[in-house]
Amino acid sequence: MKKDKLKIGIYELTGCAGCALLILDCENELVDIFQAADIQSFLMAKSDNIDGELDIALVEGSVSTEKDIEELMDIRKRAEIVVAIGLCSMVGGIQGRFCDEKEWKENFKKVYGDIEMTHTKPVQSKPIDAYIKVDYYLPGCPIGKEQFLNFFTRMLRGNPPERYPQPVCVECKYNENDCLLKKGILCLGPLTSGGCGAICINHNLPCVGCWGPVEGGNWISEYYLLKEKGFDDELIKNKMANFSGTKIAEVSEQLRK
Amino acid sequence: MKKISVEHIARVEGNGGISATIDGNVVTDVKFIINEGARLIERLTVGRTPEEDVSIAPRICAICTLSHKFAAIRAMENALAVEVPRKVHLFRELMHMGEMIESHSLHTFFLALPDYLGFPNAIAMGSKYESEVKLALQMKNFGNHIMKTTSGRYIHGENPVIGGFGKYPSKDELIWIKERAVEFMPSIIKTVDLFCTIDYPDCPEDDTIYACCNPANDKYGFAGDEIIVSTGDKIYRDDYKNLTNEFIVSHSYAKHSRFKEKPYSVGALARINNLGERLEGEAGNMYKKYFNDRWKKNPLLNNAAQALELLYSFERIPQLVDELLQPPEAPEIIRYTAKEGKGTGLVEAPRGLLIHHYEISNGLVSHTDIITPTAQNAEDIERYCYIAAQSLLDSGKEDKIRDRMELIVRAYDPCISCSAHLAEVKKAPEESWKEKIDELKQAESPVFIGVGNTCYSDDGAGINLALELKKAGVKDVWLESELNDNEEIWQNSVNRPLVFLDAVDVKEKPGKICVLPLHHILSNTSLSHKFLPFISGQMNYKQLKNSYVLGIQPESLSKGQKISRPVRDAIEKVLNYMH
Amino acid sequence: MKIVKLKKENLFPFLESLSKEADLWAPVQKYENKHSFQLIKDFSQIDLKYTRTILPPKKLFLPPTFNMFLATEQGYEEDFSHVTKKILFGIHPCDIHGLLILDRFFQHVFDDPYYSKARQNTLILGHSCWPDENCMCKSTNTHIIEEGYDLFFSELETAYLVWIGSSEGDDCIRIKPGIFDEDITDEDIQIYIKWHNERDKAFQVDINFIAMPDLMELKYENPLWEKLGDACLACGSCSNVCPTCNCYNVLDKPLLNKYASEIGRCWDACTLESYSEVAGGENFREKRAQRLKLWYTHKLQAYISKYGKPACVGCGRCASTCPVDINVQTVAKALEGKDMDTFWNRLSKEVTK
Repeated sequence: MKKDKLKIGIYELTGCAGCALLILDCENELVDIFQAADIQSFLMAKSDNIDGELDIALVEGSVSTEKDIEELMDIRKRAEIVVAIGLCSMVGGIQGRFCDEKEWKENFKKVYGDIEMTHTKPVQSKPIDAYIKVDYYLPGCPIGKEQFLNFFTRMLRGNPPERYPQPVCVECKYNENDCLLKKGILCLGPLTSGGCGAICINHNLPCVGCWGPVEGGNWISEYYLLKEKGFDDELIKNKMANFSGTKIAEVSEQLRK
Repeated sequence: MKKISVEHIARVEGNGGISATIDGNVVTDVKFIINEGARLIERLTVGRTPEEDVSIAPRICAICTLSHKFAAIRAMENALAVEVPRKVHLFRELMHMGEMIESHSLHTFFLALPDYLGFPNAIAMGSKYESEVKLALQMKNFGNHIMKTTSGRYIHGENPVIGGFGKYPSKDELIWIKERAVEFMPSIIKTVDLFCTIDYPDCPEDDTIYACCNPANDKYGFAGDEIIVSTGDKIYRDDYKNLTNEFIVSHSYAKHSRFKEKPYSVGALARINNLGERLEGEAGNMYKKYFNDRWKKNPLLNNAAQALELLYSFERIPQLVDELLQPPEAPEIIRYTAKEGKGTGLVEAPRGLLIHHYEISNGLVSHTDIITPTAQNAEDIERYCYIAAQSLLDSGKEDKIRDRMELIVRAYDPCISCSAHLAEVKKAPEESWKEKIDELKQAESPVFIGVGNTCYSDDGAGINLALELKKAGVKDVWLESELNDNEEIWQNSVNRPLVFLDAVDVKEKPGKICVLPLHHILSNTSLSHKFLPFISGQMNYKQLKNSYVLGIQPESLSKGQKISRPVRDAIEKVLNYMH
Repeated sequence: MKIVKLKKENLFPFLESLSKEADLWAPVQKYENKHSFQLIKDFSQIDLKYTRTILPPKKLFLPPTFNMFLATEQGYEEDFSHVTKKILFGIHPCDIHGLLILDRFFQHVFDDPYYSKARQNTLILGHSCWPDENCMCKSTNTHIIEEGYDLFFSELETAYLVWIGSSEGDDCIRIKPGIFDEDITDEDIQIYIKWHNERDKAFQVDINFIAMPDLMELKYENPLWEKLGDACLACGSCSNVCPTCNCYNVLDKPLLNKYASEIGRCWDACTLESYSEVAGGENFREKRAQRLKLWYTHKLQAYISKYGKPACVGCGRCASTCPVDINVQTVAKALEGKDMDTFWNRLSKEVTK
């Protein structure tokens, strides 16, 4: 008997839409993707979207409005498995950096003044697991094509996705790059989730940290190393914060000790 | 009252919607809503180094990531006095072409075309239009390939930096790109024919203002140091605020823009309107073949303009590659020492003019201003949706409003992430005017102005109502005659909502009361004439957006007649409610 | 073993005739003073003045990532696309020793076909070298080589002395027999001996590796390991650049358009946190200090105890790679009780402050 196709929904909360776009960028596989699964909802790609029960929901973007919260809660209720895709939904994205409420409010006011938003109330940007249980994470800013296809196919076969627990340095060495950190360049490779293929270092540019903090990154050691190499304290901390989202709070805590 | 809304516009990039509120025969409100939350990108870059900005700012939007990168780099190089050689400019132009091809092919074929061919999405369309879908995928893939080759990856590539590129594409890669571009040419010409001969609906059609970058040397292109406006104005990059005049609206996290108190449009259609004459080669021939007056007033033609730009890009790539293959070799990254400065960078994102402006002090960004195309288009999107909704309502095609509004929004190719799902048509509840008056009174104290002519029966309703309100002791009520030459009243009304009281023919039962936004009345030529004298030169746009007309449906406008019964009852109703 | 002489100007013509039969790989400058073994299309790219490449030659036999086979419902199809006929020219003695150690791992007990096939298809053309401050091969006794090559080129002033190490090597020189001179003069021998003696004196590092198994045992609970753990960035680079590190991970890459999976393989490193993680999420070596201890146990203790020589060939790659100065030299010196000025030592002082 032919098994029913998995019902999948792809949702975008607040973000740049890059993770959803990346799925559309799988030009050679797109037809296969739509044939292999029952894509119930994918706003960027289609207009006949259905909000029903799902096997898997992929959620991109951070939670930044009350509407995002409502939508996310609804997705969780409807979906068997929820996957956070991309930096925004994993750690809150670049916008997640204002994780101190006071700081966020001040900055919000600087952009929008005292205006009361009539359509949906803004909330501090947070990763989706601040509100719901997340089953799997797929990192990246945006997610990588190969990882997405691997993840998608594994899910179709009922296998859990691969994890990406290694820092950028691993792929950087696979590509036989010269260590920029060793050369005295502020590179965040050792602190950043790999999977990108160490693309920046392949282009002679330091890792900016865009795939977010890697599990078990040694922030303290790299911090002192960079200090020793003459980098300004503020600059190091800023660079570490740019793509760490709300996780920067944990890092700052470590660095304070 | 009814509300037609598309809460999540599908097949656009990001999360936004459009809503029209309908009260009987009138569209009382149209809002382009951006649900995308506030990301405070501009604030995220403050206190960061220029390099950090250049990697943070493009993450505003995945579709225009390289346009953002390009604009940020241009602005920073202007601020920090970095001059890059021609080779670097050419590599950037090639990189930008990649994004133009990727975005335009995605938008024309995948997001817009299904509407005209009657499919919910491009994959479904593929069953009948296999070769078109295949071509679109190949084109998109080619655009992506160029972006990856030049910027490092499909989305958010970090290879373009202030002063040049981390690494330049190899000769072999460049030659491959050129050869592939040439191979595409016959199918691109077919694409232009396809999109220029689609039977675009003639609603909405209305003149607007178009703005885009003015590339140097009178060439067509996607970057420049000056903005060219269809009014004939030219604005130097640092004076961009003279074009944009941004203001915040409460229904969107994207700021809106107006030029000389009028909405304007940016994007492929704006570029073709302003610069189309400069197109050469096949693109020039196709422009001459298809461009006509409709292109000047119908936003749906944006898809045709995008097709024409695809052709331009495919013709330009071989020229670019030929020059790139000539010596000298591209240089190392140009370093800079400046720690202070301010600068603006203008580029054309696929969906229109994109502006980045930075101030650098002590080596760090102290001020960031980013104006996205969708933010600039928001006002015109609302205006065209209003025109379409009202005219469809007038011709009894209310059921078509939702789809048409969605079509308009999609034609603009909004990149909602930039600014921020799609159409909604709402029916107003009975007597919704009361709700609106309460809302206005709560927020700010409104100023009421009675207008009309008491000699013509119900046309005197506004004056009559104003007089009654005055009598009842309601504050801040004026007659139109009192306004003329009375500076004090205007001074006193600055930044307060104005509510004009008038008889307004909305083709309803006599005595029907409704509150309409003034700027909608102004877009509707049959209603606007009366208000124009009050507005011209007196109101700023913020106030205009905040002003309303409390209208009563007249029964008779005959000379010398008294005010009709239903209208008198309506006046009584308003008086009782407000008193 | 036969030794012949080749004039320097005849090297490229010789390589050119060889490279008609196979892909020529040789050291190329990739970054300033940083080299890499690359496929040679243009002989002028070859840079024989190199000290070490960033990645060791293991990348040619077991690439960092490659597909082993396609698993289908019917069985599997092996994928040997990484195996091509190659000539590896310019490899230094330490790296040849590295390959001999890998042979032990991948051929002596179980045969790893992906390694063996690539190895069988590659000619090893060694080249003499000169040490820098990170070279430890004199201490590991891998600065000279007696086996493991097809040809070995010792550079004199105007010519090479060429050692023929195998029958394949012998076949090579027969391709262009006229350019090899069997007549080696006394003067040539004198120059060679002088060069050898001078090179011996040029080594700056001296470590007593034979003492290391005992020192490792004695210092197994030493706070040194915590110090190293505090500094280690857990980037895995020491393993990736080590010519004898050979751990790998197997990846399942299911195909979207048919019911099959590509089974891939990639380099893994015991210094990475994920390495010791098992099903269920338990991790046997969660702490960086534990993982470093494992790495050094392999290099400095276990292999020496079993085979009488370290699993380190003294190439100095760890020293020229690790940004926080954790490498065989600084760790061996610390085990010997000699503190060097290293980042990890300075960090320890900074943190305890």
